[in-house]
Amino acid sequence: MIPLDSTPMVLVAILGTVGVVLPLISIARRELGGNASNTLYAAIALAALAASMAYVGYEFLYGDMPASALFSEEVLSDDAFGGFFAVAMLIVAIFTVVGSFTYMRKHENASPAVYYSLILLATIGMVLVAYSTDLVMLFVAWELMSIPTYILVGFMKRNPASNEAAIKYFLFGALSSAIIIYGISLSYGLTGSTNIGDVIEGYASLDASMMPLALLSVGMLIAGFGFKMGLVPFHQWLPDTYEGAPAPVTTLLAAATKKAGFAAALRIVIMGAVALNTDWTLALGVIAVMTMTVGNVAAIMQKNLSRMLAYSSIAHAGYILIGLAVAPHSSLGLQGSLYQIFNHAVMKGAAFIAVAGIVVALAVTHIDKLAGLGRRMPITSLGLVISLFALAGVPPLSGFWSKLMLFGGALDASSALWWAPWLAIAGVLNSALSLAYYGWITRKMYFEGETKRRVPEPKPVVAVMIFSILFLVGFGVYPEPLLQFIEFATPVIDWPG
Amino acid sequence: MASESAPAAFLPPIDAVPEAAWLVWAIPFAAALIMPAIGRASHRITGYAAVGFALMSALSAFSLLPMALAGGEIHDQIMWIEAIGLKAGVLADPLSVIMANVVAWISFLIMIYSTGYMKGDRNVVRFWFWMLFFIGSMQLIVLSDNLLQVFFGWEGVGLASYALISFWYRDKKKDHVGQESRRVLGLMDYYAPTHAGMKAFIMTKVGDVMMIAGMLLIFLYAGTFGFRELVGDTAWAVEMSAQGLLVPAFVLLFGGAIGKSAQFPLNEWLLEAMTGPTAVSALIHAATMVKAGVFLVARLGPIVFALGAAGILADQFFEIVAWVGAITALLLATQGMTNPEIKKVLAYSTGSQIGYMMMALGVAGLSYQYVDGYTAGFFHLISHAMFKASLFMAAGSLLHVVGSRFMTDMGGLRKRMKKTYAFMWAAGLGLMGAPFITTGFWSKDAIFAAVYESGSEWALPLYVIAVLTAVITAFYTTRMIGMVFFGPKSEHIQKMEEEGHHIHEASISMWVPYGILAALTIGIGIIGLSAEEGLHHLFEVYLADSFGIHGAEKGTEMASILPGFLQGLNPVALGSSLAAFAIGIGLGYIFYIGRHVDPARFVNSNIFFYAIHKVILNRWYLNAIIYWCFVVAPLWLARGVSRYFEKTAIDYGMNDGLQKAAGWSARVVQGTQTGVSQSYLFVFGAGLLFVVLILMM
Repeated sequence: MIPLDSTPMVLVAILGTVGVVLPLISIARRELGGNASNTLYAAIALAALAASMAYVGYEFLYGDMPASALFSEEVLSDDAFGGFFAVAMLIVAIFTVVGSFTYMRKHENASPAVYYSLILLATIGMVLVAYSTDLVMLFVAWELMSIPTYILVGFMKRNPASNEAAIKYFLFGALSSAIIIYGISLSYGLTGSTNIGDVIEGYASLDASMMPLALLSVGMLIAGFGFKMGLVPFHQWLPDTYEGAPAPVTTLLAAATKKAGFAAALRIVIMGAVALNTDWTLALGVIAVMTMTVGNVAAIMQKNLSRMLAYSSIAHAGYILIGLAVAPHSSLGLQGSLYQIFNHAVMKGAAFIAVAGIVVALAVTHIDKLAGLGRRMPITSLGLVISLFALAGVPPLSGFWSKLMLFGGALDASSALWWAPWLAIAGVLNSALSLAYYGWITRKMYFEGETKRRVPEPKPVVAVMIFSILFLVGFGVYPEPLLQFIEFATPVIDWPG
Repeated sequence: MASESAPAAFLPPIDAVPEAAWLVWAIPFAAALIMPAIGRASHRITGYAAVGFALMSALSAFSLLPMALAGGEIHDQIMWIEAIGLKAGVLADPLSVIMANVVAWISFLIMIYSTGYMKGDRNVVRFWFWMLFFIGSMQLIVLSDNLLQVFFGWEGVGLASYALISFWYRDKKKDHVGQESRRVLGLMDYYAPTHAGMKAFIMTKVGDVMMIAGMLLIFLYAGTFGFRELVGDTAWAVEMSAQGLLVPAFVLLFGGAIGKSAQFPLNEWLLEAMTGPTAVSALIHAATMVKAGVFLVARLGPIVFALGAAGILADQFFEIVAWVGAITALLLATQGMTNPEIKKVLAYSTGSQIGYMMMALGVAGLSYQYVDGYTAGFFHLISHAMFKASLFMAAGSLLHVVGSRFMTDMGGLRKRMKKTYAFMWAAGLGLMGAPFITTGFWSKDAIFAAVYESGSEWALPLYVIAVLTAVITAFYTTRMIGMVFFGPKSEHIQKMEEEGHHIHEASISMWVPYGILAALTIGIGIIGLSAEEGLHHLFEVYLADSFGIHGAEKGTEMASILPGFLQGLNPVALGSSLAAFAIGIGLGYIFYIGRHVDPARFVNSNIFFYAIHKVILNRWYLNAIIYWCFVVAPLWLARGVSRYFEKTAIDYGMNDGLQKAAGWSARVVQGTQTGVSQSYLFVFGAGLLFVVLILMM
């Protein structure tokens, strides 16, 4: 039995209660189509998220948060690993709510209560994925995360692009859920348990004739989680969906649910593969290089800012995967992955919120239309540029250190894996390539276009921008506290063999 | 903070405040910084403020003088970089205090002169800023107790000289040097101020790079930059000597001095440095910049020589110093004979006289009596500082009045500018070494004696070069005075007078400073012998106390054939000194004052003279060769690389190629992104199979 005062339970209680109560308030106020109060629900949702954030933060600082355990007898494990992902996801959820504040007021929004309620419910799902130590629990959390986001993507009912995005997302979501549950059932059949720790132990002592089945189950889990992570070749839905979805929802998808995929992959796939004692690192390495290359190459020619960022987030999944691929031989690489996950949540979150702000203020996403934006929306532009350069890994921004650790981890592993340095080389070349399109946007915003009048920038967006600038520059110049946090959250794994 | 005093020499110890040694260079730096603020307040008072600050610095230096003349020293250190135990400090010993006073007081006079010379210039604040910065950097070099700190001042001097040489950065025609129509080996011998500043900066930088290499090499072994620390424990020298690195390290350091002091082969920047305001030229040539190199050798020489007593020989270092000095002395003196620009003649003369100083400092290390050559070199530095500053400032007055830098545009000025005429004769006689009454005579004679008596195997050739240079010096100085003040008025002056210009004496703030220095040249010259002996004694004690250098016991004193007041002088040196002066001034008189022979006709009279004249006038082709090798050829190479490599391989190949490749692959990836869900699902399924297959491999 999980104690009711453990972190995941408290978060479920706070977010779940508010998430359920929001639509009830709407009913009580007898709201119809046009007169709904966006501000009220946004404020309540924000308060709930802030309270959750405060609680996790308090637990980290003053509670006795156990170090990363990865396995437990229960279905949830209240450890630093889950807490780490909870912090990252809550930051993104707060970004999303703050960004929606003006975005949703400007666009058609029949029922804001439902909208914010869905965001809170999806957040519970994401947080629980990170805390799960049981396959069934994990799957339930996975679905709790996915189903609200299907609706959120298609929330603008009269917008065909939004509809198409939702349909594609749902199709692939359903397929990947099916594949995941298939993988889980295979592993249950082989080991007789759904507890992740037991499954892995079972795999370790598996009869040789059963091996192909076990590999099939691990492969299915990789594919299923890879869908959310946006790994090549499971990525094709992603640009279409990110482009069509409302910009704040895209923020949630790109910066948060993607990370849930990584949390799940870390808990299960790597452990399982280790137990199976196969050379799975190569598979992850190949996927990592494919993912980052395809993402960056496709991003170069994009004309739409959201779509470009979508491809960039595919590329970043590739960088993060480097750390997972070399994890058995370098703890630095795994730390780099977690670091990059955390940074990416802020960088990509800020970038998409900036897009939301630009859409609200100017209703454009085409890159050519961004000319002269540096003077029209100075703070949004600055936030966007800093996020982009942080994504590229330019020092002294925070994104530099995580990439440095990732590539350093790859070099670190070179004594055990002959091809590991090539991961670092591919990463560096890809980062250089990515500067081409990040730089292109920067040039458009600051060095092109005649001077036009300043337009008012949405205040919530400005708030997010200022937070991100402070975060990225501050932790770029002085990364020590963040490094300690990451080190604490990174599971120390006693790798067999 | 620790201060110590060495035992007294011949006067009771006199205390001085250690802070004064810091203030000598801190005041000019601080003054330079606040100069823009003063300029903002009032343009007119900047000059007085700058002179006032220079005076304060000079007074600080002066307060150290009694202590130093008594043989005392102040060595005051503070922690600079804790991590590597680096200390900053000042070292006020007899050498540096005398040098600091020479620099400070001559700079002070030049600053007074500048208030008149720069009157009406719009950028006068910038001028004062850099002048003060210049003086501060020089004093930093002089008073530092370690090489690294010296290097900071060294670079400061380089920066300030760059800024001041190109002070008139608009490159107006009148600010150029050289003749527009002249070509040497196909290159124009005509330079704009901005070009000249760059040339000075880059050429001295060659020396600076060598210097920093030598410095770091020594630091690598000794673990210190401090002059005193280097003498204290010589284990580093033993090790470097065993590796064969000792002499190279010091020669690299000397490379810095070669660049800064415009010695062969880095001498060519000095001529173009004449594009700066004349006050700057005076400062560069008399007190700062070129003297920095000599001072560095004077700082390092005793350290190297003291190692000899410990059995570590570094004679090659002194040989190189002596020969570089000798070659420069002769090379530049010859060119002084032919150049038509008055400031350039003086510039050649400076390089040549610095060569003398180097020769003396080098020969000192090759002789038994180190102190003889050392004193001679340093004494010449002092006397040269006085008469050369005076000559430059006087030349500046001429330029100011006549409006031309060519001596051929002057002539017959002795009636119009009587004071300048008199002062130039006085200072000029100092440069020529007029016997018994000028400082220049005594210091030059001391150098001759030191070379002659050194006992080095190179003594004879060096001595011949020294005497030959003295003849040439006397000749070109007479030529200069003759061309400017004697003979008929030039066309240029006639034209000016026709246009109503009245040729008159320069203003009082201008002629007083060079008048003072000219008077000092003669005044100290009259008591020159005892001044030299006093300096000799001071350095003898200083070298013995600080470096443990003792002169060899003198053998039986040769019975002198000289009359009483010249006792102690070397008769051979004295004789050649007198002869050189007589021959030089005599030839000069025949050609340029008496005008008995037309120099142009004389040169053209036969092919031999003509050829020599041409080679000298073309600066021995040295400048042209340097330009061909280090400017023209690299430019060609760069253009070739640009045309045949960058525009082809890089631009077409890599830039366009990469761009096309990226675009092409982006289009391939985009092609797979059909937007059709069925095809996406197919790829998804194929991907699943792919992953399982890799896992099973």
